[in-house]
Amino acid sequence: MGNITLGRYIPLDSPVHKLDPRAKIMAMLLVLVAIFFPAGWLGYGIIFLAVSFMIILSKLSFNFIWKSMKPMMFMMFFLFIINCLVLKTGTPLLTIGKFAIYSDAVKQTLYIVVRLLLMIMITTCLTATTKPLDLTLGIEDLLSPFGKIGVPSHEIAMLISIALRFIPDLIDETQRIIKAQESRGVDLKEGKIMERIMAVLSLIVPLFVSAFQRAEDLANAMEARGYAPGEPRTRYKVLKMRRSDWLLLLGAALLLAGMIFLAFFA
Amino acid sequence: MPIEFEHVSYIYSDGTPFRYVALSDVNLNIEEGKMTAVIGRTGSGKSTLVQHLNALLLPSEGKVKVLDRVIEAGSKPKQLKSLRGQVGLVFQFPEYQLFEETVLKDVAFGPKNFGVSEADAAEKARKALKLVGLDESYEQRSPLELSGGQKRRVAIAGILAMDPSVIVLDEPTAGLDPQGTVDMMKLFRELNKKHGKTILIVTHDMEQVFTFCDNVIVMENGKPRISATVGEFFKDSSLCREMDILPPALIRMKDALREKGFRFDGNVNDMNALAGAIVKQVKKHG
Repeated sequence: MGNITLGRYIPLDSPVHKLDPRAKIMAMLLVLVAIFFPAGWLGYGIIFLAVSFMIILSKLSFNFIWKSMKPMMFMMFFLFIINCLVLKTGTPLLTIGKFAIYSDAVKQTLYIVVRLLLMIMITTCLTATTKPLDLTLGIEDLLSPFGKIGVPSHEIAMLISIALRFIPDLIDETQRIIKAQESRGVDLKEGKIMERIMAVLSLIVPLFVSAFQRAEDLANAMEARGYAPGEPRTRYKVLKMRRSDWLLLLGAALLLAGMIFLAFFA
Repeated sequence: MPIEFEHVSYIYSDGTPFRYVALSDVNLNIEEGKMTAVIGRTGSGKSTLVQHLNALLLPSEGKVKVLDRVIEAGSKPKQLKSLRGQVGLVFQFPEYQLFEETVLKDVAFGPKNFGVSEADAAEKARKALKLVGLDESYEQRSPLELSGGQKRRVAIAGILAMDPSVIVLDEPTAGLDPQGTVDMMKLFRELNKKHGKTILIVTHDMEQVFTFCDNVIVMENGKPRISATVGEFFKDSSLCREMDILPPALIRMKDALREKGFRFDGNVNDMNALAGAIVKQVKKHG
């Protein structure tokens, strides 16, 4: 459990960490859109350089980014196989008996791989430099204009932050219950089907009970402090866009414009 | 057969940035048939230590000898289940492990896992429930609707029903009311005295250690700092003060009286003996 790097916040002191979460989320969205324009290798090269610059600026190690990509490797390999079986255009590169791998299959796969890698780099750059709570604050603010058409932006943000807050607790709780039941002779790895079902049941029931208990405690604690959804609230942390935030947005917008130009006019 | 720790270390999340040494080079001997208290600050390694006894945690270095088993670092021991049947471990706040429809079924869950037949398991469960002070009226109730203290009793009965020869309890009285606490400790003492169980109990309550236990182990920074009999440890308050532990009330009382000129020998270990000693000395002075 301790080895998951995808989506984990890394507390460092860097200019990227200090940026406004709203600016970072918007910039990420702009660049994600930019990636999907068919701007060719030159376009991807530019995006890669821009994103690498951000990563260096955020003081994250490339090793960390690499680790978050690893889980995707299997998927990419799978994609390659599918492409090889389906795409039969271009020049044959390798022939094994009747079966041939065509250049377009390789090209298509490479495109998708590069896009995926860039996307992971960007999203990792966002989640690793922004505290989950700041992220939800940013999402709340960005969603608030949609309040007019009935999107409950505050409730959504509260939901996300509570869910995020409970993840480590529930992981701990699960491990605790596993140990407690193992002490009572539960064998999670071996045993007949019925025994296995009982074993899983002996984990799930206590886990649900304690999750509901925690939820109720939290709800009571929030209500006791006067929380009511939908009421106007002030914030402890007030987000403020500074010059660097606008610069980031400008950079991302330029990148997007550049990709559109490369894709359609160059 | 005593329980022995030889150069045992335990490291959490080794090889990651979250690496944490919970036990380092622990050498320890826990006497069979005795009631031993494990004390120490939060984070001193008490819980990690006791989880080695039924091999929930395997040592990163060194070896642990429990009953007739030797668990060595690096080896992948098989048949851990039989060990877990002999060493019953009750976790902190064990009420969170209850899941069955009825109290009786939940208590019988342990013995059934160790291959006891349905009828025998129910019989063992009834006996265990009686031991923890819950009568037949509780048998068919849902464990989830009981009060906190009753749930705790059910959970402890769940371990006792397995009839282990070693019982390990991680803060079994935390959050219980004073009467419930004393009842629980008396039960453990009885299991130890009458049924010859080896009992290891993690606690923060010095009164419990002083009144009920035979031996005491003080953990500090992942190492046992002191391993002594309760008599030695509480001879006077100096060891406690050194460890930054508030001594039991009786010891503090004796200290205060000593300062005023009273003299006590080593046998003054309860209220009655203390009262007797005071009366004797007051009379002597006339």
